[in-house]
Amino acid sequence: MTRAQTIAVLVAVLLVLAVLELVRRRKLSEEFSLLWVVASLGAVLLGVWTGLLTGITRALGALYETSVIFFFGLLFVLLLLVYYAVKLTALTQEVRRLAQEAALARLRLEEMERAAGAAPPPPPAPPGGPAAPAAGDHP
Amino acid sequence: MRALLVVPAYDEEESLPATLAELAREAPGLDVLVVDDGSADGTAAAARAAGVPVLVLPVNLGVGGALQTGFRYALERGYDVAVQFDADGQHDPRDLPALLAPLAAGACDLVIGSRFVERAGGYRAPWTRRAGMLLFSGLTSLAVGRRLSDTTSGLRAYGRRVMRLCLDYFPQDFPDAPLLIWLARQGVRWTEVPAHMRARRGGTSFYTFTKSLYYPYKTLLASLIAVLRTGAGERGPAA
Repeated sequence: MTRAQTIAVLVAVLLVLAVLELVRRRKLSEEFSLLWVVASLGAVLLGVWTGLLTGITRALGALYETSVIFFFGLLFVLLLLVYYAVKLTALTQEVRRLAQEAALARLRLEEMERAAGAAPPPPPAPPGGPAAPAAGDHP
Repeated sequence: MRALLVVPAYDEEESLPATLAELAREAPGLDVLVVDDGSADGTAAAARAAGVPVLVLPVNLGVGGALQTGFRYALERGYDVAVQFDADGQHDPRDLPALLAPLAAGACDLVIGSRFVERAGGYRAPWTRRAGMLLFSGLTSLAVGRRLSDTTSGLRAYGRRVMRLCLDYFPQDFPDAPLLIWLARQGVRWTEVPAHMRARRGGTSFYTFTKSLYYPYKTLLASLIAVLRTGAGERGPAA
């Protein structure tokens, strides 16, 4: 192995370990770690097995191994970004829904407090089970 | 028919009291709901002082998100119609009977108060905005197959069916052309009635300069998607 190869493999292995450690500490979900682990393992594989990279380069008709590496690296990052944007959109929708439900629940609570004749905040829930709340005016 | 006026308000403590007072005076039979869209000022307090129920959103969602919250409330409480009404005093409560009439007659599911049908009220926007309005109303008319003169009007009445559709899909920032295209293509029966616009009482418009750059892009893209979406949706089972 050349020195450059050794360094590449070392970096990739460290990345895998770092990702796994983040998952272990619950700082990263298994779902998000998957892409990173797969990509890092791919890098390890390419670093160890030079024939694979040369083979891919030839199969693609590319001139240099380096451009193949950069191509796949960029592709990976782009896909990752799109994936994040999709996740972000989903999260935005969830937050919006929660904000709306929180506003609706808060108004209901205020109405119930007012109906209960009340300025003072109600005592904590009695042990004998909560009293049935007024069912509102659903049609 | 039970109708609810939904007033989305973002930092409108200046103009809200006058608007609510005018509504109580001019449209006494109608229930009013203020949706405080994450305001930093005393918007919610101003509404409470007027004895109007307030939904307080913990974060700012935009006009669309606030309105959608109002629809959830209206559907939950059995209202037949929700009317979108601006907090800043641009809308005239005297337009409300005409706005509600087609819904009460069961002829429509969506009524839009238009500034341009019959040239009601002397509203005159800056020319850039007029050009934009013309462009979007032209494109929207093309997409829905019928003339729609005012896509940006914030005075609209929505029936229950439309409110339910709006829970599925609703543009959060500008519920304008794309929404109307989507609704029309879902088979919603709509009409326009003349409406009068006045100068705003205070606060600042939702349509600010930075947004004016983003708005055309967003509206064109979303309109296109609305056309494509309904095209694809028709093949599947109806929602």
